[in-house]
Amino acid sequence: MNSSKTKTQWSGYWFTLPAALMLGALVVYPLLYGFYISLFDTNLLFRWNFVGLRYYLEVFTNAEFLGKILLTLKFTFFTVAGHFIVGMILALLLNQKFPGRVFFRAVLIVPWLFPEVVVGLLWKWMLNPMYGLFNQFLQDLGLIAGPVSWLGNQETAFISVVIAAIWKGFPLVMILLLAGLQAIPDELYEAGQIDGASRQQIFRFITLPSLRSVLMVTLILDTVWWFKHFTIIWILTQGGPVNATSVVSIDIFKTAFEYFRFGQAAALAVVVFFVCFLIGYVYRRKLGEDDD
Amino acid sequence: MIKRGNHPNYALTYSVLTLAALTVIVPVLWMVSTSLKTMVEMFTIPPVWIPKVITWEAFSRIWVDYPFGGYFWNSLVVVASATLISLAFSALAGYGVSRFQFRGKGVFLTFLLITQMFPSIMLLIPYYKVMRTLGLINTYTGLTLAYVSFTIPFCSWMMLGYFQGIPKELDAAASIDGCGKFRTFAQILLPLTLPGLAATAIYSFLVGWNEYMFAMILTTSENMKTVPVGIGQLIGQYRIAWNDIMAVSLVASVPLTILFLFLQKYLVSSLTAGAVKQ
Repeated sequence: MNSSKTKTQWSGYWFTLPAALMLGALVVYPLLYGFYISLFDTNLLFRWNFVGLRYYLEVFTNAEFLGKILLTLKFTFFTVAGHFIVGMILALLLNQKFPGRVFFRAVLIVPWLFPEVVVGLLWKWMLNPMYGLFNQFLQDLGLIAGPVSWLGNQETAFISVVIAAIWKGFPLVMILLLAGLQAIPDELYEAGQIDGASRQQIFRFITLPSLRSVLMVTLILDTVWWFKHFTIIWILTQGGPVNATSVVSIDIFKTAFEYFRFGQAAALAVVVFFVCFLIGYVYRRKLGEDDD
Repeated sequence: MIKRGNHPNYALTYSVLTLAALTVIVPVLWMVSTSLKTMVEMFTIPPVWIPKVITWEAFSRIWVDYPFGGYFWNSLVVVASATLISLAFSALAGYGVSRFQFRGKGVFLTFLLITQMFPSIMLLIPYYKVMRTLGLINTYTGLTLAYVSFTIPFCSWMMLGYFQGIPKELDAAASIDGCGKFRTFAQILLPLTLPGLAATAIYSFLVGWNEYMFAMILTTSENMKTVPVGIGQLIGQYRIAWNDIMAVSLVASVPLTILFLFLQKYLVSSLTAGAVKQ
């Protein structure tokens, strides 16, 4: 009499197997193969010298790479913080009923719809030291005396890259949080009001806790996505000037496709994976404590 | 009730939102303005907002002087195929996971989540090697497979969320009426998930249409490049024609914007469904 159980087992497999097999071939196999590559000093053509775990050991003794990880963490921190501050404020405002709400919502989503390459180029043009809008604007406001080469300067390049990344990424956080806010039942707020809670208390004790699962998922995804971000930075600075914006994904890309040290690049990528995984794990621990 | 409150502070709300909207609109208008300028007017100090001579030449140059017609075609073919494949696989998987208990289900779900964690560059290096060996560099197949690999996992999550929202009694009713499992899925459930499918399709389209790094490495020949790669290489040139770049950037953003305008309701609710249920 095990027939019905076996049947659903099999049905589950029939529906899930195509995706599982596809991902096995397109994700699992390449990942394992990437790990294999990381054990060699190779140009992927004729040179395949087995080096074992040497590249992994190098990562942890190589101050330069650790510095790049720190730089990437810094970039991710400011970008994600920017997304959440801007996204949360806008989501709270858009969660009210007022004329023009639909208009603002539509406009504020726009950066998310632009391809990353386009966002990169747009900011590169706006930050152009000679003809750029940004310098002109700051000069008109009297904030700077003369044109600044935002991307050509080690300190300002980092800030510029973060600003472009915030501009591109805040809409997604805003939408997700807004949807989270709208899912909070009205009764909770009514109850809070009857109990005489202030606006701050309502936010602190009703809104935030109800948003927690949305916040956590958004935070994890946003952090991981921007930690491994490539395109906008590549278009804006290619990691320069010197190494001011050389986040890990840029560094790995160059190691592989400019210096043709594929094995080393593959090893770095594996390390980045573990860092991302760790970020996700720490967040879950911190934020999801009494979830499961 | 305070939620979507009756007494929002209009002045504050409007000023903050207007400021935010301006930071979005001003760069976009600047794009439009630049794309309508002549070479001469583009390089003036201080920059002018409304060009004296408005010209649409940049919009015609991108098809004539640069092979953007071909790039758009390549992008369309690759992204549309990847989207169709992702939809088929993730709808099946989403249904399977939402309806049946089986060994390995948990592993499968965890795996889908983990794929979001690894840097795509981790796949790029092995892909480059494998595709060269198999002769898939510079082919639609090669790029399509690469895009499918990053869309199927998230699309499966989205579809799973969608199927979970549909009562299981429907399946039971269909099976009493004598429907097989697959017919139940294809004829009863799938039509109900159309909004979910639409959302999943835009997500997948968005990811593929925007992708830059894989396309840059996996296509080397001029006639196989995609739109982002084509746009990206315009800044390698000696004198940068910003008007042309802005024109093609605007054109490249059109498909997504149109898609989004029509389907935004579905996309937003699906993205959140995944996030909330997770």
